[in-house]
Amino acid sequence: MVEPTEGSRGERTWRRITTWDAPPGFNMGLDEALLESDESPPTLRLYTWNPATLSLGYFQRFADVPGTERAQVVVRRITGGGAIHHANELTFSLTTGLDDPLYRGPIAASYRRVHGAIVRALGRLGIEAGLRGETALASDREGTGMCFHASTALDLVWNERKGVGSAQRRRNGRVLHHGSIKLGTTPLEGDIATVGERATPAQVCEMADALENELAETLGLVFEAGVPTAAERVLAHELGTRFLDPAFLRRR
Amino acid sequence: MRPDDRKYLETHEWAKVTGDIALIGLTDFAIHELCSGNEGDLVYCDLPETGRTLEVGETFGEIESVKAVADLSSPVEGEVIEVNEAIEDHLEILSSDPWEQGWMVKIKLTKKSMDHLIDAETYESMLAKQS
Repeated sequence: MVEPTEGSRGERTWRRITTWDAPPGFNMGLDEALLESDESPPTLRLYTWNPATLSLGYFQRFADVPGTERAQVVVRRITGGGAIHHANELTFSLTTGLDDPLYRGPIAASYRRVHGAIVRALGRLGIEAGLRGETALASDREGTGMCFHASTALDLVWNERKGVGSAQRRRNGRVLHHGSIKLGTTPLEGDIATVGERATPAQVCEMADALENELAETLGLVFEAGVPTAAERVLAHELGTRFLDPAFLRRR
Repeated sequence: MRPDDRKYLETHEWAKVTGDIALIGLTDFAIHELCSGNEGDLVYCDLPETGRTLEVGETFGEIESVKAVADLSSPVEGEVIEVNEAIEDHLEILSSDPWEQGWMVKIKLTKKSMDHLIDAETYESMLAKQS
């Protein structure tokens, strides 16, 4: 495993929005609303899903993900990469302008900054994680289309398995960074790295607190608790229906 | 210095105009940001159908690298009359020759003024401030 490099420092205020057990359309709609709106402040979202939902990567073919037949709900993300079963996990998103020091420069550098904070957050929970580097993983497997069964050098791993999934969308000078930290396994994501057995509410909160604290300390951010504005909620609602639309789901 | 025979959008698309036709592409800077010099990291590029009309700033396509999907914004207004089909199967063209072979779409302009775009020198200055 490779040690991520230190993040860029500087005291910058971000909003933090926490939404536990939110519906899938709302989760994806709000993330896209935060990406779309130039007036939205830099925002960290910490969230979970109800019901558990399988999300496809933006460019994935529906037919290439066998798990769609077993999932209760399926959506398509606007971020790329593989499919993720959003159960037993903490999901987060970071949305800001591309001129933010966190996202300036090569995409790989932005991943190292964010992943450096996640490594320290996992360390608070006793998990020794690091970047994958050039070594293939025990969790890599073909044919599932699942994000956690495919890995790159920038992915976070422990126990020789992938434990954090992440992807970015860049649009009109802004960026949306999605991440999933696995607290337990799911039926569609066997033999991956997890923090524990399953995601109890207490464990979700413990992971969320650790992540927020380390994003603050490692990256020099100050988080203020907030909620979506009325305009963001309206836009989230408008955009949210698309993610479950059969035409969008089967666009590829 | 980037080519000064074309103009640029702040979001890193370029437009090279000849008469009422513009070739549109993505700069080397944007490609490098997406794949950090590893051309194998580019995995997909979705370009529009011919016949589609575009406004300035409208998304005309999407490009995916291993870790990010980025929108492609049109620097000009007009109708897509040709798409560079070679890119879909040979994404490495975007890295090896973003200025000539790496053009993405050809557009018949409905508005010829390019005053909303920045020249190469201004684009270079913008990049210098970002780094």
